[in-house]
Amino acid sequence: MMQEKETIQNGAVIQETARSREILQIGEEMLPFAYWLYGIPGLGSRTIRHLLMQHKTPYEIYHMPKERLERLLPLSNKTAALAKRIADSREETDCTAVTEQFARLKEKGIGFTCLGYQTYPRRLAQIPDPPYALYFIGRLPEQKCPSVAIIGARNCSAYGRQMAKRFGEELAMAGISVISGMARGIDGIGQSAALAAGGYSLGVLGCGADICYPAENRALYRMLCAQGGVCSEYPPGTRPKNSLFPPRNRIISGLSDAVLVIEAKGKSGTLITVDMALEQGKEVYALPGRVTEALSEGCNGLLKQGAGLVLSPQDLIREILGEISFMRPAPALLSARQADLLDCMGTFPEAADQIKERMLLKCGRTISIPDLMAELMHLSIMGHVNQIGNGYFMKA
Amino acid sequence: MFSAIISGAVHGLKSHLIQVEVDASKGLPCFQMVGLLGSEVKEARERVKVALKNAGIALPAMCINVNLSPADLRKEGALFDLPVAVGIMEVLGYLPEKSTEDILIIGELGLNGEVKPVKGVLPIVMEAGRAGIGCCILPRDNAAEGAVVQNMEIIGVSTLQETIRYLQMGGPDRHKFIAPCRVDVDALFAGNDRMAGQGTESDFADVHGQESVKRAAEIAAAGFHHLLMIGPPGSGKTMIAKRIPTILPPLSIEESMEVSAIYSIAGRLPKGEALLRERPFAAPHHIITRQALAGGGRVPSPGMITLAHRGILFMDELPEWKRETIDVLRQPLEEKKVQLARSTGNYVYPADFMLVGAMNPCPCGYYPDVHKCRCTPHEVRRYLERISGPVLDRIDICVEAPAIKVTALREKTLPESSVQIRERVLLAREIQKRRFAGTRLRFNADMGVKEIREYCKITDQEERLLEQAFTALGLTARSYHRILKVARTIADLNADTQITERHLTEAICYRMTDRKYLGQKQDMIE
Repeated sequence: MMQEKETIQNGAVIQETARSREILQIGEEMLPFAYWLYGIPGLGSRTIRHLLMQHKTPYEIYHMPKERLERLLPLSNKTAALAKRIADSREETDCTAVTEQFARLKEKGIGFTCLGYQTYPRRLAQIPDPPYALYFIGRLPEQKCPSVAIIGARNCSAYGRQMAKRFGEELAMAGISVISGMARGIDGIGQSAALAAGGYSLGVLGCGADICYPAENRALYRMLCAQGGVCSEYPPGTRPKNSLFPPRNRIISGLSDAVLVIEAKGKSGTLITVDMALEQGKEVYALPGRVTEALSEGCNGLLKQGAGLVLSPQDLIREILGEISFMRPAPALLSARQADLLDCMGTFPEAADQIKERMLLKCGRTISIPDLMAELMHLSIMGHVNQIGNGYFMKA
Repeated sequence: MFSAIISGAVHGLKSHLIQVEVDASKGLPCFQMVGLLGSEVKEARERVKVALKNAGIALPAMCINVNLSPADLRKEGALFDLPVAVGIMEVLGYLPEKSTEDILIIGELGLNGEVKPVKGVLPIVMEAGRAGIGCCILPRDNAAEGAVVQNMEIIGVSTLQETIRYLQMGGPDRHKFIAPCRVDVDALFAGNDRMAGQGTESDFADVHGQESVKRAAEIAAAGFHHLLMIGPPGSGKTMIAKRIPTILPPLSIEESMEVSAIYSIAGRLPKGEALLRERPFAAPHHIITRQALAGGGRVPSPGMITLAHRGILFMDELPEWKRETIDVLRQPLEEKKVQLARSTGNYVYPADFMLVGAMNPCPCGYYPDVHKCRCTPHEVRRYLERISGPVLDRIDICVEAPAIKVTALREKTLPESSVQIRERVLLAREIQKRRFAGTRLRFNADMGVKEIREYCKITDQEERLLEQAFTALGLTARSYHRILKVARTIADLNADTQITERHLTEAICYRMTDRKYLGQKQDMIE
């Protein structure tokens, strides 16, 4: 809130700061000072960028007299207070303490990178309001690899779940990094599918990188730490809080080349990420859904506004890589009845009774319930059909 | 002067013969009863005194002592009124000598001398039969109940005066006065196979749609498998559960004796019925206490699970049940009996029932219909986790009932009737009877690991299919045996001797899916 006020007051100045590329490149020896600077309470990314933009390094800031700091800091009613904070913090931590604290962070297995340092994701450095630094566990995404954010509703349908899984899987197999928020629903499913397919995925958290939120995604969190990465702009130990989540969305889109919306309601947090992506000049793709479906309202709305229409993972891969690099294996041989059965099924979970009825209407085949159950299970085992619960089935 | 009348008492599910000894001697006038009596037995004194007076017999000024032997067994119930009254009459010389020999007498007395029905008649008469007693005098309303015991002369009486007159007569006159009550059990049960279910209003022909659920119910009935139905409100779960007794094989005579004895003790036999012929269907409400479910009281009376013995225990809205209440079922589900320890002794009640559970898939009831369901995945999961795992583990068949469509209700073709379904079930039961002849098992659901290995042999090809299913569907080792048991029943329904791929795949369909899929954990594991 306070930062926003600052933005209004110093609109012109902040606009300038957005050119974060002008921040000086720094070496590894400078990281402890960057960590110190980022850790000062009340000092946000914007202010830090403003300070450093003027061809300064964190080390120089550390040694700068208070009066000069006051002159460097953006002009507002808080300038003096901020300068005092920096000076106070400096008094509390001498040079050795700064290095020690940074070493402790490393011991915990948490990585740190900041603007100007080589490991800082280049895509992120180019967005209007990049976080000054990132804490991460595992790896940050390869700079050269294309990346896509798979996002969508937390409370998703079976269709959304299946699509998220399929896209996550196939994008990962095509060598595309999958970025998302590790949330319940679409986010987490897309990411676990990418990891399961042996790909890379990064979870951008709205809490400290050392905290798993939501707790139910613990398995995914562990896998991400081992096989992919989790990162956060908030210091380790930060508890999840509502207000922290919307800002992290700009990092999700900022780290990606394109954003894919799987399923979203008309008013959805997912659309915040989309707005961020558009602001950052990223491509937005959406998966169409039924017009009557509340969970597809957001997607269809985006499509109407001109978002890229994606019908299959190949569509998206082609757009991003320029070619299809991966083909789905041909399905195993099916009997005529099984083929008909698959024809009669959709990507919405349906009860066996409904499928039976459709078989009769569409293929003119009568099939007894025991036979139908047996066939459906057979197809499930072969991987063509998913059983949802105990009585519902859908195409895999 | 001394007399001894044979009577009986029920203790738990066991019945004992009791000697009612009466002595009248000179001394201070008194009327005492001893023999570890419950208060309703002690009160017999007042009832007998008044009933005798109203029958026109004044008690002389003598010291009358009554002892119920064996004296160390606690006696409960009002069934000693009649034997005490008859004992006193005999002591006072109103009855000829030996007129009460070899006769068991039970009954409650009203103040006007009327004989009222009592509980537990059937097991007492059975015990009398075992002890070699040839005749029983019972309240008239209980006569039919006792008459199912073979080679037993049952005399139904309605008043004390009638009883006295009967006993005063000798030889053939007696039978002219009150003819022994007879029930032809074989005739009662002949044709029971066909007629059962027809007397009742409900029939599977009333259930339109829901074919997969009906099929699951058929398999469950054929193999006596526990069944769980999950579905939104109004999808017909309760309707189907209520109709399962109509497709179960009728009670055999032996089973009926067993069940009727329990109902007799609980005082729940329908009035005038000799034996139960329909399988019991117990549907307790979920607010039931643990004691009412398992059996409770100082001397426990049979609980709901015992009343469902050889029949169905229907538990509607399963997640609404208190966890502790459901957990009561753990021992009965495993051992098919319930053991209750009380200060008065240990009681074992049989509880071999088929558990039929019904539940909504989520608190609002509409999951997985995302249009209607307002629950979060977390809520859905919490709802299902309320059911204790060990109980879910015993359920072989789980089926989901989709919301019913209006078109299905309007359909012209009549669905299969209970009689048609029952025919297939009976066939499968017949096969099981032959298979398990000479063992303690009765149904496929009773099979243990050893029996499964013996009777559920599958070829390498099917073994491979199961293996595939395990990896593709994430089955657990626990579900393996359940799938084989259900596949066995499906094969029996088809009269196939060998379990084939088709039977197996259908059985896999009915396994208890790991309900965690409802959140997204399963997606993650995949």
